[in-house]
Amino acid sequence: MNVAEKDPAVEGLLKDEHRRCLEVLAALREKVGHLPKGALNVREKSVGGKSYRYHYLVFREGGRVVNRHIPKSDLPALRVQLRERDQCRKEIATYRRRIAYLERLLRARQRRKVPRAPGG
Amino acid sequence: MRPVAEAVFPRPIGSLILSLSSAGFFERSILIGSWVMAVYGELYGVSYVLRTLDLDFAVEVAHPRVRLRADVEGLISGLGFTGFFAAGGWKKFTGEGYEVEFFVHRSGGRNEEPRALPEWGINALPLPFIRMLLDFSQPVALDTGASFRIPRPGAYFLHKLLISPRRQAKEKGKRDLDQCAALMGVLDHDTIRKVLASLRLGPRTRRVLTSSAGVRSTYSTNLRNHRLLRRTRGRLPRCGTVLRRAQEWKRMILVALNG
Repeated sequence: MNVAEKDPAVEGLLKDEHRRCLEVLAALREKVGHLPKGALNVREKSVGGKSYRYHYLVFREGGRVVNRHIPKSDLPALRVQLRERDQCRKEIATYRRRIAYLERLLRARQRRKVPRAPGG
Repeated sequence: MRPVAEAVFPRPIGSLILSLSSAGFFERSILIGSWVMAVYGELYGVSYVLRTLDLDFAVEVAHPRVRLRADVEGLISGLGFTGFFAAGGWKKFTGEGYEVEFFVHRSGGRNEEPRALPEWGINALPLPFIRMLLDFSQPVALDTGASFRIPRPGAYFLHKLLISPRRQAKEKGKRDLDQCAALMGVLDHDTIRKVLASLRLGPRTRRVLTSSAGVRSTYSTNLRNHRLLRRTRGRLPRCGTVLRRAQEWKRMILVALNG
């Protein structure tokens, strides 16, 4: 038995979900833009028989690698921000995959709605 | 009432509900939105398959002087969710593609600015008719021992009937009525009467409540067309049954409103 292809409830749900994903993606991208990028690097130096540890934030800027010294007092806050950025990027990847999937589904539904040419 | 299997929720949602429950969040707050239909399915055999990927909670607003009771934001972030700001400064959370949102009751006016909830360290969006869901709720036990609260089916049914015509997206309004139709078989007169007695409704809202024609038409159309519903047709009430029930509930609502 043929089943009607167009279902307003399902199609509406897919469109709502697509719109929601785009909104969340935009919000997450904005958030990531305000968070520091890069990775923490620790360098150990020995001066006069004593060992010192220095923390650097390593990131790319305009094609070159930048090593920015991070004072010890800023470290905990920076670690939190870097972790948050990682989480955001993971979430962004999830939403991008979902958006691509929903767009494929919605395109497929659009194609099915187009009537066949007579005799085609 | 028998406990609901935690497996009714996907893993991120299940662990979130568990954490909120252990923080005492559900003493005065409830789960709302389409996931409630999944719980009704477990408890009453209601068949409604469509779910959105957002998890909504209705929160009771405590006195502004109430101190922080539990850091819900920290709790949610600890589960791998990340917070972000939606339009107007409303804080939402997302994890593994699921979105967590909080709502409070809006008693009047059109102030749509998020309201701070110092008790939980979050903010929530004010929406009308949330009060009826908070006031008429029931506890649900999970098989893991945790518990949470959801609206009683009668309150959820009337809430959907009320908000359906107010939706800007018409499809969303139709889905609200589909949920109403699916719930018709498990409603009890007593809850409906009590919820209606607690509401102060204007003439327009009264008309909305009594016009159950939408419930009939969308449900019967979907029953014919819906692929997912088709697969489970044996478990669904037939269109004729829904039509008859819609008429019965319309009469009941009329009596309760005018009585």
